[in-house]
Amino acid sequence: MSTTTETNPTASVSGATAQPASWTCPFCSLLCDGFSVRAGPALELIGSDCPRACAGLAAFDGLGRVTPCVDGASASLEAALDAAADRLAAAHLPLFGGLATDVQGMRALYQLANVGGAILDHAHGEAMMPALRMLQDRGQMFTTLAEIRNRADLIVCIGTDAVSNFPEFFRRCAPPAGQDSACRVVFLGAGEGAPTAAEIPWASAVESVRPAGDIFDTVAMLAALVDGRRIPDPDGALAALADAMRSARYCVLVWEPARLPPHGALVGETLLRLLMNLNRKTRAGAFTLGGNDGAQTANGAMSWLSGLPLRSRVGPQGVDHDPLQYASARLLDEHAVDLLLWVASFTPDLPPPQTALPCVVLGHPALAKACAQPGTVFIPVATPGINADGHLLRSDNVVSLPLYAVRDDGLPTVAEVARALVARLTSGAAAKEGAQ
Amino acid sequence: MTTIRLKGGRVYDPANGVDGEIRDICIRDGRIVALHPQDKVDTEYDLAGCVVMAGGIDLHTHIGGGKVNLARMMLPEDHRLNRPRDSLLELASNGCCTPGTLETGYRYAQMGYTAAFEPAMLAANARQAHMEMGDTPILDHGAYVMLGNEEIFLEMLARGEDPQRIRDYVGWSIGASKAMGVKVVNPGGISAFKFNQRKLDVDEDHVHWQVTPRKVVHSLARALSELGVPHPLHIHASNLGVAGNIDSTLATIDALEGLPGHLTHIQFHSYGREGPKKFSSAARQLVERVNAAPNVSIDVGQIIFGQTVTASGDTMRQFANADLGSPRKYVGGDIECDAGCGVVPFRYREQSYVNALQWAIGLEIFLLMDDPWRVVLTTDHPNGGPFTSYPHLIKLLMDKRFRDEQLARLHPDVAAMADLREIRRELSLYEIAIMTRAAPARLLGLTDRGQLGVGAAADIAVYREEADREAMFATPEYVFKDGRLVARKGRIEAVPVGGTHFVETDYDPAIEKTVEAYADRHASISYRHMKIGTDELCSCSNGGALLACKVHGRGRAL
Repeated sequence: MSTTTETNPTASVSGATAQPASWTCPFCSLLCDGFSVRAGPALELIGSDCPRACAGLAAFDGLGRVTPCVDGASASLEAALDAAADRLAAAHLPLFGGLATDVQGMRALYQLANVGGAILDHAHGEAMMPALRMLQDRGQMFTTLAEIRNRADLIVCIGTDAVSNFPEFFRRCAPPAGQDSACRVVFLGAGEGAPTAAEIPWASAVESVRPAGDIFDTVAMLAALVDGRRIPDPDGALAALADAMRSARYCVLVWEPARLPPHGALVGETLLRLLMNLNRKTRAGAFTLGGNDGAQTANGAMSWLSGLPLRSRVGPQGVDHDPLQYASARLLDEHAVDLLLWVASFTPDLPPPQTALPCVVLGHPALAKACAQPGTVFIPVATPGINADGHLLRSDNVVSLPLYAVRDDGLPTVAEVARALVARLTSGAAAKEGAQ
Repeated sequence: MTTIRLKGGRVYDPANGVDGEIRDICIRDGRIVALHPQDKVDTEYDLAGCVVMAGGIDLHTHIGGGKVNLARMMLPEDHRLNRPRDSLLELASNGCCTPGTLETGYRYAQMGYTAAFEPAMLAANARQAHMEMGDTPILDHGAYVMLGNEEIFLEMLARGEDPQRIRDYVGWSIGASKAMGVKVVNPGGISAFKFNQRKLDVDEDHVHWQVTPRKVVHSLARALSELGVPHPLHIHASNLGVAGNIDSTLATIDALEGLPGHLTHIQFHSYGREGPKKFSSAARQLVERVNAAPNVSIDVGQIIFGQTVTASGDTMRQFANADLGSPRKYVGGDIECDAGCGVVPFRYREQSYVNALQWAIGLEIFLLMDDPWRVVLTTDHPNGGPFTSYPHLIKLLMDKRFRDEQLARLHPDVAAMADLREIRRELSLYEIAIMTRAAPARLLGLTDRGQLGVGAAADIAVYREEADREAMFATPEYVFKDGRLVARKGRIEAVPVGGTHFVETDYDPAIEKTVEAYADRHASISYRHMKIGTDELCSCSNGGALLACKVHGRGRAL
């Protein structure tokens, strides 16, 4: 069932290799492709100490051979596919959750969702909604990593230290060696533990600014100050920051929607208004940190296939999108769905949520133990960039990169499992035709 | 071996000079063949009362890539309605001005189109563009890579790089992104906007690189000509939408110095500065110039009244128009020192003087052009209007009375004054077949598409002859893709995966060292990922056929 289409010339897919393979990292949405991995008994990261990548690789240590599992009992792949298909066939409205997969996986899951209808949401759906709702209500002004490297003279991280969830972020923003322009980094309300000047060696200055109240008040005041409006009792540090933003040639606002309190879309909207005003005189853009575990990819592929982003229901009646109603947690709590198909192919850190509903899990092999329980069909799947090829969309929603297997564990991909389920749930020519 | 006879239809096949003759078209294994009338076939269709044309080819339609997908996400209101579908083959997908890729494929095929080309593929976003097109069923597809605003190119121009090296770089870019051609958008202007320049005329210097749009256009046109790329440089000229921009449009034609160039959505670039509102039609000026310049072809980018969204790489102009958005939303992005993207929802209104005049200008250009082989029917989907408006547009071009009725509903100054009132021409079915099939195929170098000669691919649309051309072109009786029935009276009958057209050129691979050195220093991805290999293309484009077109230019200078 291999879908390997193009082998990385420096990689070996036939087991251990002495040579490190050049590699695209699937463990956060920055998709770093400047490191390599040595595939021996363990997977060793070469060229970086990124804790996220190291943890992702370590999750494959000592797994041995993991088999599918039906209701807690080990089963063959065929038997597990049969059981999963039976349960899907019996469901009236399944939720396809998790969706931690790549483009090919989403393509096949979309076909599967169309067989009998399903609601699709990502494990990070809640974190994605502020940025999505901001886009739907107001829009966005964005920039991308290469623009930041080559152009930014001021980076303002708002409500995030960036590196907790995206450890390589500042290394990816480093200007070209020898570039004479200076770039300053400011953390606004990033809390303790924001990187120091020593940790961003290329920055001309690294500063922290305390928020003026909560994040909503802080960005509102900053936006007003950038706009040049007179406000009572302006915060001195914010006023200075606003001046710096106005005099910067290219200011980058970094935000991380997952860290925002409820109604975080309002922060995004304020930042967009600020950026629109700033761009009337100088240049600026936002960089949104998010989309890990294939969230950007799942949302992108869902949007192009159906026309609507995640948190949509698809089926014979068409597509229906509702960012509030079709939230996984709410659907599960209210038993508005009657089956959970959970996809988590990158790490074991995304176990299926606790639910009494029947579950079908296409998961990282290290999830096997957690999924060995009555009512659950568990099918271990390959991870793009580890033991399968694939494609992922980067956090900026512009660049997508190929991922290549560094070893072969004989596991099926999410796409292969989903296609096998489609084949079981449909029959005859119509199914083949529909599988475009 | 499957054989089909399409019997007794009235055939319009301009590439072979066939103008409405009753004749049979026979198909074997996806190709058009000559069969003896007595030869037995597997299936015969009686096409009495029907018009037969090659499948439609849209050479400029924004169907795939990041900005289109952002527009989809941004406009859930465009996706509230789900069209009832009577074929189980159709997966759920919807949208009108920003349809999902699946819906895009179904709707084009239902209308008799069998190929569509994405005109604005960013090199940085090429994989996604190919993925989206690969998920657009039925249609063959391809894309033009956007060049002329990436810093590496502008830097090469600024340091006076040898034209042969520019040619090699363009050849490399086409190969790396698996493109069918090259498009330049607001030449140099997207980059200039990143340096905070707000306007860039054809002979004005880019504030940082000190090169002019004239230089950018000429360099790219020359490179393509030397590489032997069939599709002329696809040009979105400077000053889109600006009153008086006819000057920069004519200057852009001059910049070609006789080299092939295709000026796209030319309606948006044909504005004068006359009259009380300082906004007027320059259609006659434009057409006079284009008629006299055989190296120039155009597509129109007709506007259609109603809601749509404008999605463009031209961040300079899109940001300038952001406040005109309706509904008021804006997406803008600076992308990878490569290009940009701006998305502004827009509603064209009949009672707006400007919009009404834009509508009239587009039609004037169609109707004044002498040579239908050099003007292609487009709405610049979705920028002027959704591609589903094509049947309506065809009726406007073929039916003077209908056109007059529409004109009478517009802003009174336009209805009373527009040049369009005086233009009596009604296009024939033969001319429509040129503008929607034969000409785009020729301009793209597709020798076996857009025509019905023996040996051509059996991409065929069969329309029931009706006086109401809009109804006729909206729902063909039969549509065949590579000899397979894919739609029948609007019902989808099969959903094959379309193929990807791309060009393979000869260039000196030494240029790769230059690109690699640039990437190591400035890019955000590894050099090895800047190229899409053919195997990877196959995976991106969903396993569709790889329709490579190898071209040989004037030889490699080694």
